Amino acid sequence: MGIKSFSRARAIHVMLVYTGGCNGCDIEIVNTILSPRFDAEQYKVFLTWNPREADVLVVTGPVTALNKEPLMKIYEAIPEPKLVVAAGSCALMGGVYKNIHGDIPSEEICGPVDQVIPVAAKVPGCAVRPQDVLAGVVSLLPTLLGAD
Amino acid sequence: MDEKLPRSEVIETEIPLGPVHPAALEPYRVRLFVEDEIVQEAEITIGVNHRGVERIMEGLPVEKANALTEKICGICSNAHVWNSVRTAEMALDIEIPERASYIRIIMGELERLHSHFLYLAHGCETLAHETFSMRLFYLRETIMELLAMIGGNRVQYGCGIIGGVRPRCELDDAKIARIRTDLDAVETKLADFADRFTSDTIVMSRITGTGVLPQKQALKLAVTGPTLRATGVANDVRVDMPEYEPFDFNIITQEGGDVKANLLIRVLESFESIKIIRQALDNLPEGPIVDRTWEMVDSEPVHSYIEVPRGILYHSYGLEDGKVRSCVIRTPSMANIGAMQYAAIGNHVTDAQLCIVQCDPCFTCTDRAIEIIRRD
Amino acid sequence: MNIVLNPVIINSVIAVIITVLICLVVSTFLPGIERKYVHARIQQRIGPPVTSPGIFAPIKFMFKENIEPNSPVSGLYKALPIVCFLVVLCLIIISTPQLFAIPALASIVAIVGLLKVEEVCYVLMGALSKSIMSLPMPFPDTIKGAVHRDSERSFIEDLSAKRSLRMIAYGSFPLYLALFVPVTQARSIFLPTIVSYQFTHGPVLFTASGIVGAIVFFIGYMIMLNEYPFSIIKAKSDVIEGPYMEYASKYRAVVYITRGFLMFTLAALFLVLYCGIPLFGLGIIFAIIAALVFVLFMGIFSAFTPVFTNKQLYPVIVGLSLLGVLAIVLGLL
Repeated sequence: MGIKSFSRARAIHVMLVYTGGCNGCDIEIVNTILSPRFDAEQYKVFLTWNPREADVLVVTGPVTALNKEPLMKIYEAIPEPKLVVAAGSCALMGGVYKNIHGDIPSEEICGPVDQVIPVAAKVPGCAVRPQDVLAGVVSLLPTLLGAD
Repeated sequence: MDEKLPRSEVIETEIPLGPVHPAALEPYRVRLFVEDEIVQEAEITIGVNHRGVERIMEGLPVEKANALTEKICGICSNAHVWNSVRTAEMALDIEIPERASYIRIIMGELERLHSHFLYLAHGCETLAHETFSMRLFYLRETIMELLAMIGGNRVQYGCGIIGGVRPRCELDDAKIARIRTDLDAVETKLADFADRFTSDTIVMSRITGTGVLPQKQALKLAVTGPTLRATGVANDVRVDMPEYEPFDFNIITQEGGDVKANLLIRVLESFESIKIIRQALDNLPEGPIVDRTWEMVDSEPVHSYIEVPRGILYHSYGLEDGKVRSCVIRTPSMANIGAMQYAAIGNHVTDAQLCIVQCDPCFTCTDRAIEIIRRD
Repeated sequence: MNIVLNPVIINSVIAVIITVLICLVVSTFLPGIERKYVHARIQQRIGPPVTSPGIFAPIKFMFKENIEPNSPVSGLYKALPIVCFLVVLCLIIISTPQLFAIPALASIVAIVGLLKVEEVCYVLMGALSKSIMSLPMPFPDTIKGAVHRDSERSFIEDLSAKRSLRMIAYGSFPLYLALFVPVTQARSIFLPTIVSYQFTHGPVLFTASGIVGAIVFFIGYMIMLNEYPFSIIKAKSDVIEGPYMEYASKYRAVVYITRGFLMFTLAALFLVLYCGIPLFGLGIIFAIIAALVFVLFMGIFSAFTPVFTNKQLYPVIVGLSLLGVLAIVLGLL
């Protein structure tokens, strides 16, 4: 393991973007990072709110119409290597909101997330459990370490 | 108290924040109009969360619609289910077993506890006081585990169904004993925290007089919930609800309507909630927890008001062939947006997000029926 | 020619380089120590490994893609963290006894000047950074129905630049007053005189004016480092990261390293000015101890305070400045 992967394994900066889910996943992820019970920092995962600093983007929610472009802009602002974790069933497949008009394409929901930006890991659950979020972020490690 | 008024003539520049921002737990846009770092006017734009839940509910079988209301909001999920099944029960004229009603109240009050702890932790985080925030998140974790134990999930427990509560939410002796011990621990720790918090002069000087919402203005804006009670108005729908009749609790009010009053009222209300849960556990009646002997009939739209952690929640729908018709949901944050915009006036820009957070925003609840403003 | 080959000068240069390298390595541990052993301990959690925030995060940023920042003058914007780093490097070189031979550098005036350069850099960074997180975010703001559709719109970093400008005007005043406390006792602005005065008269720290001055110096140190509660120029609740918003990859790594280095350097300066121990030989060990003590107290203080707005900052800084004046008056008596 070179110094590149070694250092990447020891500092992962995570940015959160909420794209209009029900708040359940958002709170659980904040809980993961901020609560001393789960304490993501002990796994070398740090919270940041600046896309220029981030390595991993955690996205929740079904990507509502107003959120689509901000999400894409934030994704573009992150320097390579970057990876996206879609957390929660809304981010994975649009959740209960996706079929708002049945078979007619929805105007409100632009999701799921992988139709907007490329997704590297998917964390299922409604709402996601904090342990699963941590596992999802950590499961990206091999990809992140091997990236240029 | 001097009336704060938006002073548009002195506005120097506009600072837009959001929809992704560290101080916001959910996406919303806020435009702050400032003059020398003092906010003169604030405009909150919601609609970022619009998913059209009422539109999906329309025409769904009422049981499915109840399950869907849970997905309106991840913080007050139980409140939405409770009010939705309550509406259906009013429409179908169902009398639920007493034990079920008690269990619903236990869940509702536990949810109020976790919502208030989240509010306090988020408030401290917005103050950039990481230590207090972490301690509160730690306290909240105990409540979350209790909820997960009863409902089987940490966020959406699906407790209420038409006619009672779901059988998995039945409370046996082991569960009751655990709730009691955990609540004792939470109460002691919360009392410690309240002591520590109110005696911290630096924090107190920071939050006293910040984000003031005068009582007159609060009434004018039709603010609800703890935000209204923090201005000195004793308004709580729980006293009018037949479910809460057997319980003895106080309506907490505070004076001032500033961040301090808002934070303290949540702490004191948490103690009241613990009191209600204890009474419910003590007097928990025996008997069935669900009544399945009801029949589906058509009904005119009926409505139901309950008190949720953020204020008054209104659900209304009619039934037709077992399907939901003319669904309207009004959440407390809808009324409180005016308070948020008003409270931010006259404060420093760093406090602007704090003033919004002090009204306990839950825009995911609120964004449903509002038309998205589209660009041309 | 014979100046260059003078063995004394060559030895001095080698000694300075070794000292600086040791200090640089030690300083990278300081953010981690603050985060793990102070903040995390107070917050009752395990916290990150001690090497992560200060060492491996900058190394990781080194290997990230070099994105062109959103800035009107991106060349200048990218140069600023390097200027900051060089300033801190100069400060640490000044504290070594080898540099005492150059009177123009080894004086309080040079230190004040270099610290001012550091602060001016923050203003420029704030003014030049145009992050995606506020104004350029694609959101229909000025549409039909919105209030004040014709108002002038600004970035959050502009706020941060304005605040940095104010911090130059009054915020760092306590630190500069505290720097002049030893001057009043030694009656000289030159570091060699200050150090030799303390050799004969005992450290300034153990006099009445020295103790008051040390307190002012410590708070000034926190203001200089923009640590909570004095982090208004990068307050998370409005300006997110303020001046540093647009730095990515190598430039962000420099920002990270500079912060740890500044923590160490100011502690080393304190040792020179208040205890008369220059940064050499055994002095390095004393400097490490001083830096650890500073970081420990700063961590405790910052973990228990919310961010200050102007309402709290003005009284704190006015009070501290008065204390600093008191220390100077006590020293002159």
